[in-house]
Amino acid sequence: MMIPFGHALAFAAALFVLGLTCVLLRRQVIMILVGVEIMLNAASLVFVAASAYWQQADGQVFVIILMAITAAEVAVALAMVVYLWRRKRSLVADVFNGMRG
Amino acid sequence: MNESLLFLIPLLPLCCAVINMVFGMRLPRLFAEVLAVTGVAGAFVLTLLFWGYAEGEGTRAVLFTWLNSGSVDISFALNFDRLAAPMTLMVTGVASLIHLYAVGYMHEEEDYARFFSLLNLFVFAMLAIILADNLLVLFLGWEGVGLCSYGLIGFWYRKLENAKAGVKAFLVTRVGDVFLAIALLWLFAITGTLSISEINAQATSISPSVVIAVSLLLLLGACGKSAQLPLMTWLADAMAGPTPVSALIHAATMVTAGVYLLCRLFPLVSLSPVAMTAITAIGALTAIYAATCALAQREIKRVLAYSTMSQVGYMFMAVGAGSVAGAMFHLLTHAFFKAVLFMAAGCVIHLAGEENDIFKMGGLTRRGPVELFWVFLAGAVCLAGLPLTGGFFSKDGILLALFTHPDPFYRVFWLIGVITALLTAFYTFRLVYLVFAGEYRGVGHPHALPLLMRWPLWPLAFIGLLGGLLNLPAFVGGSETLHHWYDNLAGRRVIASHEVEWMLILLAVAIAAVGWFAAHWRYRIYRAPQANALSRFLLNGWYADTIVDRLFVRPFAAMGRFCSSGCDRTLFDGTLNGLAKMATGWSSLIVQMTTGRLTTYLSAFAWGFLVLLGWFLLKLVSGGGH
Repeated sequence: MMIPFGHALAFAAALFVLGLTCVLLRRQVIMILVGVEIMLNAASLVFVAASAYWQQADGQVFVIILMAITAAEVAVALAMVVYLWRRKRSLVADVFNGMRG
Repeated sequence: MNESLLFLIPLLPLCCAVINMVFGMRLPRLFAEVLAVTGVAGAFVLTLLFWGYAEGEGTRAVLFTWLNSGSVDISFALNFDRLAAPMTLMVTGVASLIHLYAVGYMHEEEDYARFFSLLNLFVFAMLAIILADNLLVLFLGWEGVGLCSYGLIGFWYRKLENAKAGVKAFLVTRVGDVFLAIALLWLFAITGTLSISEINAQATSISPSVVIAVSLLLLLGACGKSAQLPLMTWLADAMAGPTPVSALIHAATMVTAGVYLLCRLFPLVSLSPVAMTAITAIGALTAIYAATCALAQREIKRVLAYSTMSQVGYMFMAVGAGSVAGAMFHLLTHAFFKAVLFMAAGCVIHLAGEENDIFKMGGLTRRGPVELFWVFLAGAVCLAGLPLTGGFFSKDGILLALFTHPDPFYRVFWLIGVITALLTAFYTFRLVYLVFAGEYRGVGHPHALPLLMRWPLWPLAFIGLLGGLLNLPAFVGGSETLHHWYDNLAGRRVIASHEVEWMLILLAVAIAAVGWFAAHWRYRIYRAPQANALSRFLLNGWYADTIVDRLFVRPFAAMGRFCSSGCDRTLFDGTLNGLAKMATGWSSLIVQMTTGRLTTYLSAFAWGFLVLLGWFLLKLVSGGGH
């Protein structure tokens, strides 16, 4: 059974908004990262859905690239989280305001 | 002797000045002094050797072309004629004696090289004025004497008031120089040449109104250099300089440069009766103004300074009355007796222990060599115009020229001249009595007088006393030598009946006697002066400095303040600072946006995203309408 394209888009949008809400409302750096991951996954979902809808493989190829990039991003981000924790013994994002004008 | 060697006369002092300027402090002191004196004395000897060249039409020597550009062709030419020769001889002669005196006067001075090089440079510049055949060369000398005068008035520049006096003299004479420069440029524009002889030759072809304007400008230029009204305020303050400087520059030579200029351009100036009357009027007003000021002065050199202004006023009157010979006659005798008076005053100040105030002197005959009294008296009787002295005949010649002038209005000037003569006799003998009569009233210890400060006075006093022989009037058996010497340059021939001449002579004798007796009656026995409003008024020179201050200095300062704080600081700086402040304000607003907090940025992202999204949606909706 084919999932209608509109449903897939609506689901992806909901997922994106959830991720965005997480990014905006949570204060912990880790939770913000989780929110970013969710938003990225929403975007991947749109790629896959569109690939299925137009019967083109490009979207799926792109999703694989996206996964690789996300993995790399998470590796760097978690390393930075460790580093931040060492600096200030805190992971609340607003503590790190060294770039204030 | 070759006429092209004329340039040696001014060159000799210039060379010595340059040598002293460059090497002076490395040379032995004696060498520097001998060099300075030799330079001037050599010029004196050369003038005597060249004397014959002044006969007839005089000698012109073109040294080289100074400027040559298109129609401008200015050659560095000297003119040694009948007007220049006696003046050259006087300047070099008086300057030689004053240089000798200066060697004695400055024998304790450390900075002798600067002094003697400036003094020699002054003689060069003065000779350039005298010998110039070209108005530009004359102007070179004119500015040169101003520069040397500035440097020498402020010679002891570590005392602020001396330096200020130098600056004042420089600035006030500069006002006159500007007018002179305008006159020169105007003459060049009209005649296309700056050669004095050519301008004089073309004078009659210039339109009368231009002649008046140029003559008045020349007069103002002469006023600045000769300390005549209204540019006279600098001379009394110029006495801050060393005494030899006062004797040479501010008595004998530089202050008479204005008279010489007017005599040089007499064929031009005399064409305009208006200018001639203006010259006479300025001379008369200055003569009486300065004479009244001299009545109340306390410093010996200031008395002499005011008397110089007054006597130069007489010379202006003579020029204005059309008698160049009379003006030059008084110029020459005045140079001798006033130099003597100044040099003797320097000795007096030495004897009184560097005390300038004549009320703190007295009885100086017993404190120093008695000969000093006699030379001072010789100068004083010449200045006061006692009969048979040089000053008597020269002053009488001027008064006669004024009295016999065809324009009856000149009788007024004559009357002013007579009153001035009375005042002159009075203040001169006041000076003599206060300095030499009675008991010593000061506290200073006398300084020893070097020999060199004593004997150069004698020849000058001698010439001053016998100066009348230069131009003895015909009716007392004289030959009017000077008048014949000046020949066609002499200006108006004064023709008067013998009765008039005798009457004027007797009047002059009476006036000198009255002045003397009045001073004798008042000052023979010392009475402490009472300061009242009148004497303060005269002591301060009619408050001329205050008037200048109120009329020019303060408005100028106010204008400066307006430009600086009103325009510059408030308007321009205010505008720019306002703009800068606005930019800072804006930037601080923007700075507040960069909090450095991640959450702020993220929410800004989100809002931006929302806006973009909304915009695309709007486009989609409106695009769907097509």
